[in-house]
Amino acid sequence: MATTNVVTNEQYNYDIVRKFTIMTLVWGAVGMLVGVYIASELAFPFLNLDTPYITFGRLRPVHTGAVIFGFGGSALFATSYYVVQRTCQARLFGDGLANFTFWGWQAIIVLAALGHVMGYSQGREYAEMAWPVDVLIAVVWVAYAAVFIGTIMKRKQPHIYVANWFYLAFILATALLHIFNNLAIPYSLTGSYSLFSGAQDAMTQWWYGHNAVGFFLTAAFLGMMYYFVPKQAGRPVYSYRLSIIHFWALIFLYMWAGSHHLHWTAIPDWTSTLAATFSIMLLLPSWGGMINGIMTLSGAWEKLRTDPIMRFLIVSLSFYGMSTFEGPMMSLKDVNALSHYTDWTVGHVHSGALGWVAMITFGAMYHLVPRLWNTQIHNPKLINVHFWLATIGILLYIVAMWISGIMQGLMWRAFDDFGNLQYSFVETVAAMFPFYVMRALGGAFFLTGMVIMCYNMFRTIRKGNANVAASIATAAA
Amino acid sequence: MGQQTTKNTTGHVWDDDLQELTNPLPRWWLWTFYLTVIFSVIYWIMYPAWPIGKSYTKGVEGVNTIKYTARTVDGKEVQKETHWNMRSKLMAETNEAEARQKQWFDKVAATPYEDVAKDAELMQFVNSAGKTLFSDNCAPCHMSGGQGKVTFSPNLTDDSWIFGGTYEKIHQTLTGGRTGFMPPFKDMLKEEQITQLANYVLSLSGEKVDTAAAAAGAELFKNPGVGCFVCHGPDAKGNQDMGSANLTDKIWLWANVPAQQDAAGKVEEVKKVITGGLSRGVMPAWGGRLKPEQIKLLTVYVHDSLGGGK
Repeated sequence: MATTNVVTNEQYNYDIVRKFTIMTLVWGAVGMLVGVYIASELAFPFLNLDTPYITFGRLRPVHTGAVIFGFGGSALFATSYYVVQRTCQARLFGDGLANFTFWGWQAIIVLAALGHVMGYSQGREYAEMAWPVDVLIAVVWVAYAAVFIGTIMKRKQPHIYVANWFYLAFILATALLHIFNNLAIPYSLTGSYSLFSGAQDAMTQWWYGHNAVGFFLTAAFLGMMYYFVPKQAGRPVYSYRLSIIHFWALIFLYMWAGSHHLHWTAIPDWTSTLAATFSIMLLLPSWGGMINGIMTLSGAWEKLRTDPIMRFLIVSLSFYGMSTFEGPMMSLKDVNALSHYTDWTVGHVHSGALGWVAMITFGAMYHLVPRLWNTQIHNPKLINVHFWLATIGILLYIVAMWISGIMQGLMWRAFDDFGNLQYSFVETVAAMFPFYVMRALGGAFFLTGMVIMCYNMFRTIRKGNANVAASIATAAA
Repeated sequence: MGQQTTKNTTGHVWDDDLQELTNPLPRWWLWTFYLTVIFSVIYWIMYPAWPIGKSYTKGVEGVNTIKYTARTVDGKEVQKETHWNMRSKLMAETNEAEARQKQWFDKVAATPYEDVAKDAELMQFVNSAGKTLFSDNCAPCHMSGGQGKVTFSPNLTDDSWIFGGTYEKIHQTLTGGRTGFMPPFKDMLKEEQITQLANYVLSLSGEKVDTAAAAAGAELFKNPGVGCFVCHGPDAKGNQDMGSANLTDKIWLWANVPAQQDAAGKVEEVKKVITGGLSRGVMPAWGGRLKPEQIKLLTVYVHDSLGGGK
C-alpha cells in the first residue's frame, strides 16, 4: 500500500482527514483531562478553588462537549472522509466545503466550551450550547452532509459499502435530532426559550439525548468498525445479511427508546412502556454489529496476540456488547427504579464511551495515522502500553460506579422496621467517597494512555513529515 | 492483498480487499431477537402501552390493578382503584410506608414529652425517624451530629440554650423560628471602651485578661448609658426569653474565642461582636414545612437524643 501512496495522495483528499485526525487527538487529551479534573472535584470539592469558572456544573458540559463532539466528532469526520473516499474510489466532493466543516466544527467546540465556562447553558444535556452555536452546528452539519453525499454520488463503485450506510444514517439522524431539539425563541444573544414545554420538552430532550447516543456514538462508530476491523484483520466481513438486518433494525428501533431516560417521572405511562420494550428489542440488533465485527476475526484469532491495534478494536466490541446489554436491562422499569439518578448510569455511559467509542477510535487512529503520513508508528510497544492503561482505567471506572450506584440506589430506598427511611441523603453522599476516588484514579489511567498515544502519534507524524520533505527534496534534485 | 474474491463472498470488493461473506444470520441471534419481540408484545398486552386517539391501551383489566388512598384538597381520604401506572404505584407504596409509621407517630403525638423518653421502644422510633428528619432539615446548619459550628450555628448537644432548652421552648423554636439580634456599639463607644468591655466579658469565663481594662469594662457593663446588662442581665448570665447569651460560660457562638491562641486575639474576636453587633442569627420556621407530629418528634429528638436543657 505504501508504494501506491503518491498516487493516492492525488486521488484522495487526505489533507482534511489529517486535520481532523490531529484534532481528534487534541480534543481527546483536553476532554479527558477535564473529565479527570471534575471527577476529582466530586471526590475533593476544594478543587473548585472557590472559582465559579471551574466548578463541576460548568466544566461538566466542557468535558462532555470536548469528548463527544471534539474527540468523537473529529474522529467521525476524519474516518468518514477517509472511508467514503477509499470505498467509493472517488475524491471527496468539495474541498472548500470540507475545509469549512473543519474550521466550523472546531469553532463550535471552542465557542461551546468558552460559553459553558462563562456560565451560559441551555440546560439541555449534551445540547447545552447557546442558540447561535446551535445555528452554526446546523450550517456545518448541512455542509458535512453535502460533502459526504456528494462523494457517494460520484462513486466509481457500483455498491455502497456498509460503513457508509452507517455514516449516512448518523449524518441524517443527527441533523434531525439537533434541529428539533434546539427549536427555540431567542431573547438575547446567549439565551432562548424552548419551543416545547413541560413533559413534552423533557421528552424532546431525551429523544435527542438518547439518539445522540444511538446515532452519534453507536451507528457512526459502527461505520468506523465496519471499515477498520476487516481492514486491520485482512478478512472479509462475517455476514452481509447480518449487516443489512441489524442496520435497519437498529435505526428503526433506536428512535423509540428515548423516554426510558424519564421512567418514573411525569410522562405518560404508555411512553414509558414503549421506551422500555423497544430498548429490549434493541438488544439483538445492537449485538449484530458486535457479532459481525468479532466474527470477522474468526480464523485469525492469533492476531489478538500479535497485533495491539486489533486488540483495541476487538476489546472495544466487547465493551460495546456489554454496554448494549446493560442499557436494555437498565431501561426496564423495575431495574431503572434502582439505577435512575445513581452513579450506575454514569458508569454505564462510560463503559460505552471509554470502552466502545474511545477504544475503537484509538484502534482506527493507530491504523490511520501511519497511512495518512506514509510512515510507520514511532513506537509500536507504546500502543500496547496504551491498551493496558486504557483497559485498567475503564475497569476501575465502571466497577467503582457499579458499586457506588447500586449502593446509592439501595440506600435511598432502604426503610427500617418503623417505615422510616434508613439513611439521610448526606449519608449516601459520604458513602460514595471511596468510589469517587477510585473513579478519578480510573480516569487518570485512561488519560495517561491518551497522553502516551498523543506522544507516539506526534513522533510518528513528525517522522512522516520529514519523509515527505526528503522525498520532495529528492524529486526536486 | 490481491483483487481476487474469496469463496462465499457477495462478490463485491471495495478498497482493494474489503469483502463480505454470505454467512446466514446466526440462529441463536435470530431466535433471541424473536424472544425479545414476544416479551414486548406480552408487556404491551399487560401494561399501558399504545396510544389510541386521545387515550391509550390500559393493559389487561384485573391483572395489574392498583389500589391506593388519596387525600383531596380539603383533607378527605378517598379510595382509588386504577390500572397500573407509575403515579398510583408510588401512592400505594407511600400509603404502605405511612401506615407503618402512623401508629408510632400517633403514639408520639398522644404521649406527654416526659413519658416518651421513658418508653424505650418509642424512643427507638424517635431516634430512627429523628435521625433522617434532622439530617435532611437541620444538619445543613447544625451539622450532622447537632454539634453546630462556631460563628455559624449553635451546638445542640450541650446543656446551654440561647432561647431555652425545655421541650416547650424547643418546640416553639422549631415551629416559629428565631432571630438573634445585638445592636452595634461602634457609634456609641470609643475603641478603648470596647476593648475594656471585651476584657471584662472574657474575664467572666476565666480567660487571662488585662485586669485594669476588665475593671473599667465592668463599670461600662453596668452603666445605664451603655446598657449591656439590660439584655445580658446584671450577672451577665443572659436571658433565654430574649435569646441573649450567657457570657459567663466558656461556650462561644459568634466570637471565635476558642480558635485564638493568645489573649490579644481573643479580645479582638469579642470586640468584633461588640463593634458590629449581630443580625446573622436566623433560625427558620419549620411550622409550615414539617407536619406537627414531625415537629413534636424532632423536639423529643433534640431534647433527649442530642441533649436538651437538663
